[in-house]
Amino acid sequence: MASAGSGDEKAAAAAMITLISSDNEKFEVTEATATLSQTIRHMIEDGCTDGGVPLPNVTSKILARVIEYCKKHATAAAGEEGSSSSFSDAAFLEVDRAFLEELEEFDDAFLEVDRATLFDLILAANYLDIKGLLNLTCQKVADSVKGKTPEQIREMYNIVNDLTPEEEAEIRRETQWAFE
Amino acid sequence: MDPPPAAHRDPAMDPPPPAALMDELVEEVLIRVPPDDPASLVRAALVCKRWCRLIAGASFRRRFRELHPRPPMLGYLYRRPEDTDFVPTSSFRPPHAVRDGWRVLDARHGRVLVLDWAAQYKTMDVVLVVWDPVSDEQRRLPALRTATLFSSWNAALLCAAAGCDHLDCRRGPFLVVVVATGLSSPAKASTHVYSSDQGAWSEPINVSHVSHRYDFIMMAHRALVGNSLYFNYKLNTKILEYDLGTREPSVINLPSAFHGWHIVLMESEDGVLGFATVQESKLSLWAREAGLGGYAGWAQRRVIELDKLLPVSDCSRSLSPYVDPIACPPYVVSGQEDRTVHFQLQGCSLHELLHSSTESGLDG
Repeated sequence: MASAGSGDEKAAAAAMITLISSDNEKFEVTEATATLSQTIRHMIEDGCTDGGVPLPNVTSKILARVIEYCKKHATAAAGEEGSSSSFSDAAFLEVDRAFLEELEEFDDAFLEVDRATLFDLILAANYLDIKGLLNLTCQKVADSVKGKTPEQIREMYNIVNDLTPEEEAEIRRETQWAFE
Repeated sequence: MDPPPAAHRDPAMDPPPPAALMDELVEEVLIRVPPDDPASLVRAALVCKRWCRLIAGASFRRRFRELHPRPPMLGYLYRRPEDTDFVPTSSFRPPHAVRDGWRVLDARHGRVLVLDWAAQYKTMDVVLVVWDPVSDEQRRLPALRTATLFSSWNAALLCAAAGCDHLDCRRGPFLVVVVATGLSSPAKASTHVYSSDQGAWSEPINVSHVSHRYDFIMMAHRALVGNSLYFNYKLNTKILEYDLGTREPSVINLPSAFHGWHIVLMESEDGVLGFATVQESKLSLWAREAGLGGYAGWAQRRVIELDKLLPVSDCSRSLSPYVDPIACPPYVVSGQEDRTVHFQLQGCSLHELLHSSTESGLDG
């Protein structure tokens, strides 16, 4: 993450940023949490965060979830930096391992949401450019497709089949193996 | 990444309609469908027109391969006396699993070079086919007359696209390089090159070599290292190099200490020509050393004690099974461009070993 010295890092950690959701709710977060979003990081770098950062594409419900994710993962990033100097220390590695496991559990629990929320999280992760969250949420949808028939996928994600019966028959004929 | 244009929803439209993902994000999801299960991806393509268009698109193929750089194993080609079978190891099934009269010679980046044995039997010409087992597209190359091809040969298939990263080049231009030696003219080897762009074989280029009557190019191992192809001779007195840049063949003599050894050519860790061999239950990896005015010789780079990893017998022979029919395994059977070595133990078990400077991993 930040390559600045430890003094600067402490100052950065103390700095607070205000995020404003589309429904005008304000969220106070540390800069370390906010800068997991590349979009917000660039705004901070450009000095346009005074008076809060309006996020007209993100509702308070989704922003609260996104902040929850960023807080957890910002701590993880800080933890990694802190322990890297004592890399050879087995006790630190043990702590790292436990923390990574905890992070995985957090991610799994975080993804226990309905389809609409999951899609809103994908849109927010994309808009805010949070790579980890985009990967996590997209992977969740991709995994849900595995082993499903086209009908099941359409039903799951409310998609209307606009392929003509001829088009569908042709694809099925060419790729019969995928339907056996 | 720029904020996506589609995300600029009108704030007046509050509450927003249920989220619909724009193309870019649907693609972001679909490239994450596990690569070892292509059937899921095909079924996803049947969901609607948009998903079908995205999955069939060149951008998707590229991003999919970028995210999964090591392609999954869909299956392997099993050579039988009369035909070649595709044996699936994933949900994928090729349009034609059994190919009568075909013998696989080489494969790279999703394309396979095969010898149409059945056609050769009828006409005595060498008929090579470049085959994409996934789409079943085939390109039959013009026949090479066996009279000009001497009696022993080997061939390699290469991507011919300049500066290619090989993530999506199976439909692109290719080269086929054939190297041949013969009993009738033991003092020379010849190379023939087919270019898909030109649709024709080049005039053969000959290279002189001093050769034992029974030491000829083997239809077995070959290696692509840097911009050159390397082919084994049967007795391993030398290696034939074909430089893809200058399009010139040349001969690298091996020290007499290596003659008769069973070696498999491969790329060394630092990207120069190397080989793998098994001696006294140890897998040793050798590489060509640079010296004044070119290459000075060979150096043993790494020794992996197989008996500490596998139940190998204490085998002191390193003779090639081609030279000594009673030589017994373990043998190295192939060295891959991703620095894995495959070798055979007694019986027919095949093992894969991934070697790097710090670790060795093993798969049975």
